[in-house]
Amino acid sequence: MKWRNRSKPFVIIITILLLLFMLFPFFVMISTMLKSGEGVYTSPPNWIPKKIMFSNFITVWTEYDLLGYFESSLIIAIGATIFNTLLSVPAAYAVARLKFPGRKTILYMFLVIQMFSPVVVVISLFKIIAGIHLLDTYISLILTDTVFTLAFTTWMLNGYFKSIPLDIEQAALIDGCTRGQTITRIMLPIAVPGLVTTMIYTFIFAWNEFLFALSFIKSRPKMPLTIGLYNFVGRWSTQWQYLTMSAFLALIPVLFLFYVIERRLVAGLAGGAVKG
Amino acid sequence: MADRVIIGKRSKWWNEETRLAYLLLFPAVFVLVAFMFYPIVYVFLMSFFNADKLGRLRAFSGLKNYKTLLATKEFWKVTGRSIIWTAIGVFSKTIFGLVIALLLNVEYRGRKFSRMLFIVPWASAVPISAMLWMWVYNPEFGLLNYTLEVTGLWKNPPVWLGKPISAFGACMWVDIWIGIPFMALVFLAGMQSIPSERYESAYIDGVNSMQKFFYITLPGIGELLMIATLLSSLWTFNDFNVIYILTRGGPANSTNILITSIYQYGFEWLKFNTASVMAVVTFLILSIVSIIYAGIYFKRERE
Repeated sequence: MKWRNRSKPFVIIITILLLLFMLFPFFVMISTMLKSGEGVYTSPPNWIPKKIMFSNFITVWTEYDLLGYFESSLIIAIGATIFNTLLSVPAAYAVARLKFPGRKTILYMFLVIQMFSPVVVVISLFKIIAGIHLLDTYISLILTDTVFTLAFTTWMLNGYFKSIPLDIEQAALIDGCTRGQTITRIMLPIAVPGLVTTMIYTFIFAWNEFLFALSFIKSRPKMPLTIGLYNFVGRWSTQWQYLTMSAFLALIPVLFLFYVIERRLVAGLAGGAVKG
Repeated sequence: MADRVIIGKRSKWWNEETRLAYLLLFPAVFVLVAFMFYPIVYVFLMSFFNADKLGRLRAFSGLKNYKTLLATKEFWKVTGRSIIWTAIGVFSKTIFGLVIALLLNVEYRGRKFSRMLFIVPWASAVPISAMLWMWVYNPEFGLLNYTLEVTGLWKNPPVWLGKPISAFGACMWVDIWIGIPFMALVFLAGMQSIPSERYESAYIDGVNSMQKFFYITLPGIGELLMIATLLSSLWTFNDFNVIYILTRGGPANSTNILITSIYQYGFEWLKFNTASVMAVVTFLILSIVSIIYAGIYFKRERE
């Protein structure tokens, strides 16, 4: 929209005020993560720490098991990403390129179940996971995170595959490529942006997941970041300087990844008219 | 037929292509059936049975669980709260989203940077954001109340998470705060797809900004507004993390919505009958909204 020039400064001022307002908790995070133990619990609190403790950065790795939480989160997120890709690529190829009875129904189901709430099924899922002896394992989370991202990633990939011109694939088939070869050598390389989007989406979902981890993981070394940090929160004496420092470190990778896919994600969720 | 890669003959429906399709779909469909559909079926079953403390089905009890739960005040309170939570949440997200989208639609240096910053609440991990907010809301040591008092914006700010109404409001705000960026991004994308000639001709006609907004911008993003609000309703209704982390439904049950109640009844009190009936009710509500969303989305895709 073309605004007259004199309203621009006004827009910028409002934007800055709104940003200060929206980013408030992150300012608090940055202010707290360098405070000392007493600095956190002084009343009234201060924005600028009296004593700046860069050592907090070291302490969270050495005295708290942040490294272990990072490791668990990484294993779960990478596991879910791989598993999801292995399942969604063939499924998306089938709905995008092949004709078979029930194709429309399957597509529609994929779209509807994207929205299913994990809470609705978590009770019976717990029973199933316990039944196949997977409680307190990484696999339980890799599995559930895969399942709850699968519909969305298949749906997204289906869109990317459909946008690849058929001639390219047809030519490869005529030249004697097998179906598998056309998928791995022709379709996937072209669909890389789409694939990157769905992989990052799954990774972030698993990295941020809280409910399943809370329900299925009991032993400390297997806890992912979200649960590990949640256990920092004691009733009275949470060491907020360490919690905010860990939160900061845990957020950096997801923020970075999120910016890579953000536009495609919005386009994928909002459909047709929004271009990725 | 020309728009497909043809292999083999397509005389019967059970041909090579169909077999390949089912083969490729099988792994995905299998895990979805095993870990999504089967659990849903089980929850439905559980709601019609007497379940013991381990969640095993004991005896068929028909609609008894439903009758018992629907007769409690608690259920209606929680359901009502879920609806209020969603309605106020989505409404606020839409308004904030529109304002931010309008601001981001103005060209100035650093616009891309502000767009990036506005996304942070959505990009951040929800459980971690909720924990940060818990600290922000701290009445004695938290920087929110301190800042409100010092700047004179609010002389006596409440003990946010300590009292029922302020706790519910505080949780609601965190959920709204997380949901705003998505709305803003969708609206912004919509606004940018409106041809600028429309604004130019409006400018020549001497139309004011208000009229431009209501006669050009809003209709221009109409359908997107619909999709975004539907999606947002689903997410808002489904939000478990914020309430669970901030208050666990307290104080005195005042912030429990359906989603958090299901978890509490199931995992903390092991009352599977109650939990499963609530889950079924939730499932039905969510399904209706999902189907509407899918319908609109499908229509768009075809156009």
